[in-house]
Amino acid sequence: MTNLQFRVLYREFLFRMVDLEMLSAQGDISELFGKFASLLVFFSSTLALGAFFRDTRRIPPEKLLLANWGTEHFLIATTMLVVGLFAVLSWDSTFPDRRDVLVLAPLPIRARTLFLAKVAALAAALGITVGALNIGTGVTWPMIFLPVGAGFLGLLRCYAAYWITMVAAGAFIFCCLLVVQGLAAQLPRRRFLRLSAFLQMAAFCLLLCVYFLQPSLATPKALAAATNHRLLAALPSYWFWGLFQSLNGSTAGQPAIAFLVRRAWAGLALAALGAGVAFLLSYFRTLRKIVEEPDIVAATRRLNWSPRFGNSLATAVVLFSVRTLLRSRQHRVILAFYLGIGFAVVIFLMKALLQEQERLGASTGVLSHQVNVPLLASTAVMMAAWVAGTRIVFAMPLELRANWIFRVTAVRGTIEYLTASRRPLFVLAVAPVWVGSAALLLSIWPWQPVLEHLVVLGLWGAILAYLCLHGFQKIPFTCSYLPGKSPLTFVFLGVSLFLNLLIAGVNFERRALDRPASYAAMVAVLAVAALCVRWRTMARAKSEESEVQFEETLTPTVLVLGLNRDGVVPM
Amino acid sequence: MLELRHVSKRFSGIAAVDDVSFTARPGEITGYLGPNGSGKSTTMKMITGLIQPTSGKILFEGQPIERDLIAYKQRMGYVPEEPHLYPHLSGLEYLVMVGQLRNLPSRPTAERIDGMLRLLSLHGDRHSPISNYSKGMRQKVLLVAALLHDPDLILLDEPFSGLDVASGLVLRSLIQELAARGKVVLFSSHELETVERVCSHVVILHRSKMVADDSIARLRALMSLPTLEEIFSQLAVEQDTTAISKQIADLIRA
Repeated sequence: MTNLQFRVLYREFLFRMVDLEMLSAQGDISELFGKFASLLVFFSSTLALGAFFRDTRRIPPEKLLLANWGTEHFLIATTMLVVGLFAVLSWDSTFPDRRDVLVLAPLPIRARTLFLAKVAALAAALGITVGALNIGTGVTWPMIFLPVGAGFLGLLRCYAAYWITMVAAGAFIFCCLLVVQGLAAQLPRRRFLRLSAFLQMAAFCLLLCVYFLQPSLATPKALAAATNHRLLAALPSYWFWGLFQSLNGSTAGQPAIAFLVRRAWAGLALAALGAGVAFLLSYFRTLRKIVEEPDIVAATRRLNWSPRFGNSLATAVVLFSVRTLLRSRQHRVILAFYLGIGFAVVIFLMKALLQEQERLGASTGVLSHQVNVPLLASTAVMMAAWVAGTRIVFAMPLELRANWIFRVTAVRGTIEYLTASRRPLFVLAVAPVWVGSAALLLSIWPWQPVLEHLVVLGLWGAILAYLCLHGFQKIPFTCSYLPGKSPLTFVFLGVSLFLNLLIAGVNFERRALDRPASYAAMVAVLAVAALCVRWRTMARAKSEESEVQFEETLTPTVLVLGLNRDGVVPM
Repeated sequence: MLELRHVSKRFSGIAAVDDVSFTARPGEITGYLGPNGSGKSTTMKMITGLIQPTSGKILFEGQPIERDLIAYKQRMGYVPEEPHLYPHLSGLEYLVMVGQLRNLPSRPTAERIDGMLRLLSLHGDRHSPISNYSKGMRQKVLLVAALLHDPDLILLDEPFSGLDVASGLVLRSLIQELAARGKVVLFSSHELETVERVCSHVVILHRSKMVADDSIARLRALMSLPTLEEIFSQLAVEQDTTAISKQIADLIRA
């Protein structure tokens, strides 16, 4: 009985990482998981190809060692980042949700079975993530990392070392986040829910900052330097890199690695123990509280201030969208994920600026106080990430079955609805980035180039918003969600290409800021582009067949014409 | 006047509503009755315009509703069977949103919401999120949302569901009062006693088909049965309820 219960619950929890209530009738959650897994596999396969281009016989041993160490560390840090992001995204599924508890509590299921099924589902999801991310790299790179003179057994050892290290690194970061969540869950549930949002954001930022800003210390010289000792002690990715060296049998002549290995094992043991205790303590406590207290946190203020955003329909749609985004944890986390991607690119750009500053020997801040490409690009990247992320969360409903009210009260034409539906994207995405950029840039740069850039940024935001809204015939958060519709791998490639084009565009803008004629031409081109995409989006919304969509449907592979042999259209 | 003419709805070839025709007149409360799965809620959804009939016509004041669905919706208020509301909004925020969606003037609407919430004893909870509301409180929110724009056609699908005794009595009187003021009220319920007290005219569905459309008094006279419950049992309940309950009890023990 218990085994059967465990298996049923395990399967249920594994596929409940995403709220199934939001799905379209045609939606299949396994397709979404499949797409995510294929994206990780694609990423892994691309990295795996790099192993074939490293000719170990031609590269001098010292250079090969440096290159290998760098790659080893990169792969470990990337695994930790991806697992960390996965843990933050699945934060809400760590505990059963209210519906689970209400359905399962009256059944004769022991809390222990529920707990074990949940832990097993989380562990399986973690295993799948680590496995998919290393499926290619875990095959090719161990052959390159093989110590000189190691035979077939050495190769097997290297493979084992690689996979043990990756699983350990993933488990460490996952357990650390469970400790944080478990400790926070000791608070009253309402406070925990409020705090969760901040903790998730903080975890996102921390993971990305550490990944992109940590210095490259995987060199014999850096390892030996006493000044780096504290830094190495604080950076877990280097602990697990040391663990890999130890398991792979390539630690000779590096006493610092022994210290890292000790750190890795101690860290892993502490994280696992801490996660076990915190999770166990909070689990049974939380299970009771899930039923007793609502998931939605009440608004603290009693002032019913509701600004106007155009006509009453636009105001209703904007306020509904703002309130949904502010109050739904699930939507906030998904948006934070996209903002995190933008933030990662910004960190990368800022790192380049700091390196440039170091290279020129300029004192800190001198370059950032001059109009520079990385900062200009950062605002444009954040605009793109914010607009794209907001548009994506708009497509995910909240309480799908409650959308009848929008249909029953549809007392205006479709075009008015679609016009009103566009406004939240400007209010929730374009405006915050524009205002934030204005505040930041005006505080560090002269006002004239800032104003010029703000015009460009505003137009860029408008273009992006209208592009994202092309074909979006929905009221935000009210249409069912069809997972796996976008080809993630192509999106990933498209984003890479887009970033290169964006940087090129910002370089042009930087030069244009010094030349009024070029600047005017640039603004004119952007304004025309904005008007064109606006016209295209509006034209589609105005077309006769356009109507507000509440149910996402798949485009059929085979189109049925609906004609009979006698030419009569069947009813 | 609301008129249904030979309305049918089929889902994948299976009839959910089959050739239903009746008329609901202003000043009259029409009870729409039927066992579970007989097609009541599907009919309600077709009348609200949420789903399209497969065949037949729905007319309001002589005009097909699809001719000007927007104008029709402006005059229609609907309380659905299930209280699906946005749980992250407070009761007040939800009602203000409904007013805005219906393009009602903001100040009078706010006063109307305030007054109705007070009368329905919801004023103290107006700032709480709907997720904290009981079923009865949600039902009251739905009722306010349906009446906010003073509709001419009121569609009530199980409106008493979850309401306490006092609120149920208020709603019963309210329905009668609205009908007395010339509204068309179509009212679907399983509470036959209430229907008998409130409605002047009933339509009974059975297996998706209409089996009765008359005033309660005439049905009583025609069928020589004293209560609506007995009329309903005769027309729409074909099972031996005592035997079924006995079989279930036996099955549990087996």
